[in-house]
Amino acid sequence: MSSAVLSLLLATAAVWLLAAITAVVSPSRVGLTVAACLSSLGGSCALAGGLIAVITRAPVHLYVGAGLAGETSFALTPLAAVFVIALGLVATAIGAYLPRYHRPGRGTSVYLVAYHGALVASLVVLCAGSVTVFLMAWESMTLTSYLLILRHQRDLKVASGAFLFLALGEAGFAMIVAALGILAVQAGSLNLAVIAAHSGRLAPGWQDAVFLLALLGFGFKAGLVPLHIWLPAAHPVAPADGSGFLSGIVTKLGVYGFAMVAFELLPRGPVWWGLLAMALGALSALLGILYALMERDWKRFLAYSTIENIGIVMMALGASLTFFESAQPAVAALLLIAALYHVLNHATYKTLLFLQTGVVEHVTGLRDLDRLGGLARRMPVTAALTLVGTLGIAGLPPLNGFVSEWLVFEGLFQGFRIHSHLVGVLIVVAAATLALTGGLAVNAFARAFGMPFLGMPRSEGAARAGEGGQPMAGAALLAAACLFLALGAPLVLTGMDQVVAATTGTNILARLIVPGLTVIPAHTNFSAFSPTYLAICLVAMLLVPLTIVRTRRRSAEDRRVPVWAGGIMRFRPRMQYTATTHANPVRVTFDGLYRPHVEVTRASDDPAGRSGPVHYRFQVTPLFERYLYHPIIRLAELLAKRLQPLQSGDVNLYLLYVFITVLIVYAVAVR
Amino acid sequence: MNPTVRQPWELSSAPPRGRQSGTGGALAQAGDELRRRSSRLLGRSLQIRTIDTGSCGACESEVKLLASPHYDLHRLGLFFTPAPRHADCLLVTGPGTLAMDHALLATYEAMPDPKIVVAVGACPLGGVFGPDQYSHGGVVVPIDVVIPGCPPSPLALLHGLLVAVDRLAERLGPDLRTSGGPG
Amino acid sequence: MALWFLRGTRRGVVTTTYPKRADPSSAHLPTPPTFDSAALNASVATRMVAVCPSRALELEPGALILDRGRCTACQRCLTVGAGVGTPSGQFEWATREPARLRLSFPLAGGA
Repeated sequence: MSSAVLSLLLATAAVWLLAAITAVVSPSRVGLTVAACLSSLGGSCALAGGLIAVITRAPVHLYVGAGLAGETSFALTPLAAVFVIALGLVATAIGAYLPRYHRPGRGTSVYLVAYHGALVASLVVLCAGSVTVFLMAWESMTLTSYLLILRHQRDLKVASGAFLFLALGEAGFAMIVAALGILAVQAGSLNLAVIAAHSGRLAPGWQDAVFLLALLGFGFKAGLVPLHIWLPAAHPVAPADGSGFLSGIVTKLGVYGFAMVAFELLPRGPVWWGLLAMALGALSALLGILYALMERDWKRFLAYSTIENIGIVMMALGASLTFFESAQPAVAALLLIAALYHVLNHATYKTLLFLQTGVVEHVTGLRDLDRLGGLARRMPVTAALTLVGTLGIAGLPPLNGFVSEWLVFEGLFQGFRIHSHLVGVLIVVAAATLALTGGLAVNAFARAFGMPFLGMPRSEGAARAGEGGQPMAGAALLAAACLFLALGAPLVLTGMDQVVAATTGTNILARLIVPGLTVIPAHTNFSAFSPTYLAICLVAMLLVPLTIVRTRRRSAEDRRVPVWAGGIMRFRPRMQYTATTHANPVRVTFDGLYRPHVEVTRASDDPAGRSGPVHYRFQVTPLFERYLYHPIIRLAELLAKRLQPLQSGDVNLYLLYVFITVLIVYAVAVR
Repeated sequence: MNPTVRQPWELSSAPPRGRQSGTGGALAQAGDELRRRSSRLLGRSLQIRTIDTGSCGACESEVKLLASPHYDLHRLGLFFTPAPRHADCLLVTGPGTLAMDHALLATYEAMPDPKIVVAVGACPLGGVFGPDQYSHGGVVVPIDVVIPGCPPSPLALLHGLLVAVDRLAERLGPDLRTSGGPG
Repeated sequence: MALWFLRGTRRGVVTTTYPKRADPSSAHLPTPPTFDSAALNASVATRMVAVCPSRALELEPGALILDRGRCTACQRCLTVGAGVGTPSGQFEWATREPARLRLSFPLAGGA
């Protein structure tokens, strides 16, 4: 079986490269369609390869050779196979979306080359067998994603957003190089399997350093607070499928890197490792959703929601580490399963939502939640697909978000099994934060679905919308995946359990799924939940009022009257709630966090109230930019100014530098 | 003098049904039967929605007092509700200003059947303000019961509301010398 | 303990028993008038019609029509025509047939 997986993954890479070549060779409508088909084909191959790898648990290795740059080898661990599944699914959906979204031309061809390069690089990151391959693939992924974001590079916002992505990506990369470098030096080999086998040899101080470097380095890519500021800058300016790729895959690679280091490459560490990761995850989740609620730009809103979901995943990973440390392997395995499940879920519904915002932006020209409205009647299929994604991400039963969040909650609630009271209290605080986040997420996504799709159109662009020629197949595929991940939860959990058993050595399948399609959280007398039956029951319960309505005895004919609107004469769209006002209660409650800058100007000061148009400007204070990043940037600039005299431009001084360097090298080498 | 619908409105095309408060005739019989059934349904629990079509406020002051401890309409099974969808009875005050036409008709339309319309004060009968450029001098929805007075005391209001659901008889007193027919 | 509760229990029940029994305050309510036909003549009737602010009084050949529905009980007609009539003391005028609110008083002077 391992050869099947290997050949599938090689085929994936080959097909994606072929797609890139096709896009360059033929920048026309036909070329675009062929490239998109190849892209989807590659995605399907990756999906199949990942599934087979998870189901059969066959080890996959490919050793190519040792060269000047160190060893070149590839290996697919079960942990990486889960992420390969996500990659394949997202790539297939985006491939189906490409032809109808992009206009064929040179810009699109360049974009497609960058996109497929990023896809191949992501695949290689997941299949890396040695440190060299991993780092090179990681850097390629960052660079190709940067080119991907720069699709419309003439816009200043695009350039600055992409630059921020690249800059923070490089900062993270430096830390990743340091972490993997320390591990490689201590193990004496660049091969990741060898490093994993020799993980016990590292001194505790070095272990802590590697963990912190990995957490921060991969956290930059994943979007952990306070390392997240590139996400809301880069996502809105990339094309919709590019944003879907960034949220669906690139951030998950950060999570994968951290999970790889923490669970495979490092041995069991102290409890504070898990607590730190959990705390950062909880902070990201809460701050992510709070800042999301203040956003008017739909794509910035989704970017902050990605930060929230990555926070949830990191919280689960951190809690898993904590439970492993506190001799509770069953709950720890449950939390790791929950984290991986949430990764898969988020890849599906976030990509779906980004694709749909692309559709809406394409049709109406608007991304502003305050200007859209009434799209459900005008674009019913788009609305239905978006609804599936929204219900999933809000964590509402019976869809997939609910299943993974329920698992995370059940894992956190079992904190009482840990003997240390302090750790137990911290886990409870994390669970409370997750609960607050979940409530705010429902609020946020009710707003994100209700404002564009329900009510009356708030602008001309929204009123003119219509269904026709929109890309639908990709979104439909992801919606079907959401449904499968929800209803087929027992199947998914079986696969995840095998992955976790291979990664950590703890198999909890017997204590995870009991007969009757019911899921229990690793201990029998704690809780139980059946996603399949819940979905069936919810749908069946809907049938009861429907039957009553259809079969009741009609005593009088129905009289249809307009909706009661207080007796006003004409209901105008401006009388509706806007996205800004919908989030007002949250804004008022968390005013201390937002520290908003509010400006109100009136055209005149007529005391009778006829003061003319009032302009209201509200701006959330960007805390992290102002208090963390700007000081660091200013410090760097200060240092650079101090060092500037070294580059005087005088050739004689430069010759002096060369002479001194030669002297030093001679002295050192001779001794 | 019967108040009539003064102008067409865009809320519905069909005139409201079954409100012939008159004497004799098969249609009136059907109307009375409908009235008896409605009174049986609504008599012990009547939800009242008030609407002011431009009154001076005196009738509103008296209506407001109905909820006070001295008069206490709740003990008689009468309740105020703001939502027309929940209301059985529409209590109209004021001379029917043109500006309130749409609101009055929208409220009337929003109430489900069976419903009762009670007009309060001298204004619905053309007293104080006659029809002029601002008002109809009457009510543009069909009325079941009129409670005259300027303003009618809360006792008169209670009597009128109970007459509307056939729990009390009209007490016009001995007709000393009524005019022979419609005046 | 709220003082109003103590005061209230001392005072007893203040709710009226209307409509089971008459309310004592109803004796003091302003009410539409009732006229004595013998005292009505055409000149008094004309003055009364002119002074009524609410169009409740109409003069027909040989009769004075009082619309008790339009009457505001201001008593100007009783002031202008002294001894012509008195307040009726009747305040429960609710009816389904507004036509029955119009009373006709024949004038003394004849047709």
